[in-house]
Amino acid sequence: MMITWRSTVRLSLPIVMASFCLPCHAADPFGDVCERVNQKLVKLFGAGGFRGVTNYGTGILISPQGHLLTTASHLLDTSELIAHLADGRRMRATVLVVEPELDIALCQLKHSDSNNSAMRQILDLDYFDIAAASKRPPAEAGDWVLAFSNLFEIAMRDEPVSVQRGVIAAYTKLHGRRGIFDFPYTGPVYVVDAITNNPGAGGGALTDRNGELLGIIGREIRNTLTDTWMNYAIPVHAQATIHDGEKTVTISIPEFVRLGMLGQYKPVTRRQIASGPGGYHGIEFVPNVLERTPPYVETVQPDSPAAKAGLRADDLVSFIDGEPIYSINAFHDYMKSTRPGMTVRLEIRRGDRLETVELKLESHPKRSGTPTGKSPTRR
Amino acid sequence: MSRRLVVTFLSCLGILAILNVSRSRPLLAAPAAPVLAAEAQRIATIAKVRPAVVAVCFYGGKACGSGVIIDPEGYALTNFHVVQPTGPVMQCGLDDGQLYDAVLVGRDKVGDVALIKLLPKTPGKPFPYVPMADSDSVQVGDWSLAMGNPFGLATDFTPTVTFGLISGVHRYQPPEGKGTLEYTDCIQIDTSINPGNSGGPLFNMNGELIGINGRGSFEKRGRVNSGVGYAISINQIKNFLGHLYAGLDTDHATLGALVESSNDDNTLSEMRITQILEESDASRRGLQPGDQLLQFAGRPLTSTNQYKNILGIYPKEWRLPLTYRRNNQRREILVRLMGNLDTPTKSSPPPNPPRPGNPRPVDPNQSAAAKSPARQYYEEKAGFANYYFNKRQQETLLKDFIKNFGDFSSVKGAWEASGSIELADRTGKLALRWQQTNDDLTEVSISRNEIVDSLTPLLPDQPVGTLQLPQQSGGLLASLYLYRRLLLEGPAGFEGEFSHAGIEPFYPPRPNQPPPESLIELRVDCQVIRTKHGAFQSKWYFSNTDKQLLGCETWIVKDEDPCELYFSDYRPVSIGGKLPHRIEVRHGDKRYAVLTVSDYRLAKK
Repeated sequence: MMITWRSTVRLSLPIVMASFCLPCHAADPFGDVCERVNQKLVKLFGAGGFRGVTNYGTGILISPQGHLLTTASHLLDTSELIAHLADGRRMRATVLVVEPELDIALCQLKHSDSNNSAMRQILDLDYFDIAAASKRPPAEAGDWVLAFSNLFEIAMRDEPVSVQRGVIAAYTKLHGRRGIFDFPYTGPVYVVDAITNNPGAGGGALTDRNGELLGIIGREIRNTLTDTWMNYAIPVHAQATIHDGEKTVTISIPEFVRLGMLGQYKPVTRRQIASGPGGYHGIEFVPNVLERTPPYVETVQPDSPAAKAGLRADDLVSFIDGEPIYSINAFHDYMKSTRPGMTVRLEIRRGDRLETVELKLESHPKRSGTPTGKSPTRR
Repeated sequence: MSRRLVVTFLSCLGILAILNVSRSRPLLAAPAAPVLAAEAQRIATIAKVRPAVVAVCFYGGKACGSGVIIDPEGYALTNFHVVQPTGPVMQCGLDDGQLYDAVLVGRDKVGDVALIKLLPKTPGKPFPYVPMADSDSVQVGDWSLAMGNPFGLATDFTPTVTFGLISGVHRYQPPEGKGTLEYTDCIQIDTSINPGNSGGPLFNMNGELIGINGRGSFEKRGRVNSGVGYAISINQIKNFLGHLYAGLDTDHATLGALVESSNDDNTLSEMRITQILEESDASRRGLQPGDQLLQFAGRPLTSTNQYKNILGIYPKEWRLPLTYRRNNQRREILVRLMGNLDTPTKSSPPPNPPRPGNPRPVDPNQSAAAKSPARQYYEEKAGFANYYFNKRQQETLLKDFIKNFGDFSSVKGAWEASGSIELADRTGKLALRWQQTNDDLTEVSISRNEIVDSLTPLLPDQPVGTLQLPQQSGGLLASLYLYRRLLLEGPAGFEGEFSHAGIEPFYPPRPNQPPPESLIELRVDCQVIRTKHGAFQSKWYFSNTDKQLLGCETWIVKDEDPCELYFSDYRPVSIGGKLPHRIEVRHGDKRYAVLTVSDYRLAKK
């Protein structure tokens, strides 16, 4: 986009404006640090690519064998996760394990295409030592930081990721949300004055002036209190308390990484954020025979919100409020967190086109029979 | 009003934040000496460069962007998208609080650059200006200063300064609309860039110009700073500067080939040609689908972005060396780049198209602009941003050439030259002759060991083969005819076109030496004159230093290889002035001949 004076000016206020200089060698350029850190980052390409849902992000290498950390975003919802290394190599990656409460995922570069040991030798990558990084004392408000990420998909192949500098504005707990979901991680985060809240920045590295890892740049979320976009990173020593039925488990990022690399990490089934019937939409889907049956509309109830919005048979629901929806189950899960009176925006694929419709949800009609869905039928 | 509220609010937040921090930690000790030194140096740098920073305004003073002065005559760089709405005459505010009338000189629509010229208040008074750096030496992590007039804040035109980091170099940002405003090889910064910063300078910490700020990635944030701004690198602008000073409406270049990077896993990227246009020079030079590109203009090619970057910083028609690999063999060729824009520049609309049928009240500022003294420096002509400056560049170049190499305009009789000729397979005696025919046309002839070819170029209905005599030369006789015509008649001899074509690299072969390791070693930057006489189009290359005519290219058939002449060994001739005593003739990939002249005999009448 061009910046012309004539364009509309909209000011979005950063949360905290604490950007005064602390003692430091202000003339020092960061060239060496930038080059060193860049070697430990990958550019990730995965699911998405439609309508405001990006299909790119960033990952942090944490072992010489190509283990990497990134945010647990929709990007990973693919079997075709691709990483571009600092030297320009293009490699496939697989998701090993995800911990929603920490909002991070452990992945690994695949070198299965070549079974010979020579290729394994080549994977002697630079990496961040998560265990060591988590033992360093946390950074404090006022400390200088550098943020490294592939925001806006600026870099490809051997092009270096982008670097921004800033100051830690606060080390505090965050109330964030994405769409209508509450942000799962509730521990403290580094709030920074560098603008890291950009598409593709999630999974990038927040480091100190010397390039030592402080945290993982979080995905794009808004503060629930002020509705402003948050520039933050999840600290490398972050931990989360997870309720698993009667038990309560505390897990930290280093522990998650250690167990995950050993293949011993068992993520706890996440408790439902919201439950209940949700708002009434009036869509009936095709028989839900698979775990991931695509949400094709079979029919819509007359006079229902779906009918009023013009939905019809064979429409494929692809997004709700910008979140990709891959299955009928996911659709129903999403709708549970809605309530009558809310408006949801659906992106539907109709023939070759992607169309947007808005449904103003209502209360469930008081009549017998299941209002939504049909019971699975097996053929 | 609302802006003031915002500022107050921000400062309140700032104070709160400071209070907050001071509660949580002990008061800081006095800053260390290096910090104070860095601060003092930064302040000094800003003070040094700020007089050269320009607030570009509509005529009348309404702010529309920023710019920076790059020489004492008042030439300033800005964005094309800044001066697009102002029309050719505008005003510019400087740090002294005054508005100066200014005129558009040259523009680069694809690169989003424009050159303008400010008029001094006192004739001849030099302007403050800033030096240009080598922007290829800029590194990620370096500090930078952006200056300009964001939001049109400064009504007294004192520039706003923002300070930040270089986030990336050699970045590629695709075009925005019809192939224009493409940012290639640009500099990415986290230095705040906001509406109104467009066209303003990006400095390194020595106060040298490294780029022109023009664009950012915004998405959900509207058009205010998102921590991702882009500046056009000054090295790219340097490639176009000769064109801009010559008042041209420039175009960028393409190779005429589709290039893809291999998508194999676990491999480093390889760039291969997948398709190539038959009419492209690259194809004529032998490039084929499947060839792997290694280097272009001395830079390695590793990704599609880098390919677009490296190609995107050059003007069309430039010749640059390209290295490729085929069957494990490296080859280097010199490629003439094609134009980028679909529509030829000649049909591009004037900057402010009139809108008939949509009557508007006359803008008093526009009528004032029409009376501006800057108006006399503007001349509209198709294909040019401002033809006035083209004429000026032509005049200066020809004056210097005549001063250094003599005035041949009175030597209108027959010309003869004798010496020796070296062809691919033999050598022998050479005789050249230019003479008037009975019907007042000029006939040129060449004799090689008594084998004679002759041509009267302006005779109608001659087959192409005749016009390209001698065979294999691509049109040596026609070229020699045009050469004498240029010396005799100057601009008046070229009824079709005579214009300055900016600056281009030229690669004169070194006489009697083995070929260089890379063609880049031969590069000499030249001022170019473009001519058309009859059906013959030519380009004449004058050394940018002493204005020696180093050679020419003449196209007998458009989109085919021209006949290339390389002039050297200039020595005085009896009539006065100097002429080349060695002329190397090349066509396509081959050398046709070397003409060594021992004696010129020029008759006055």
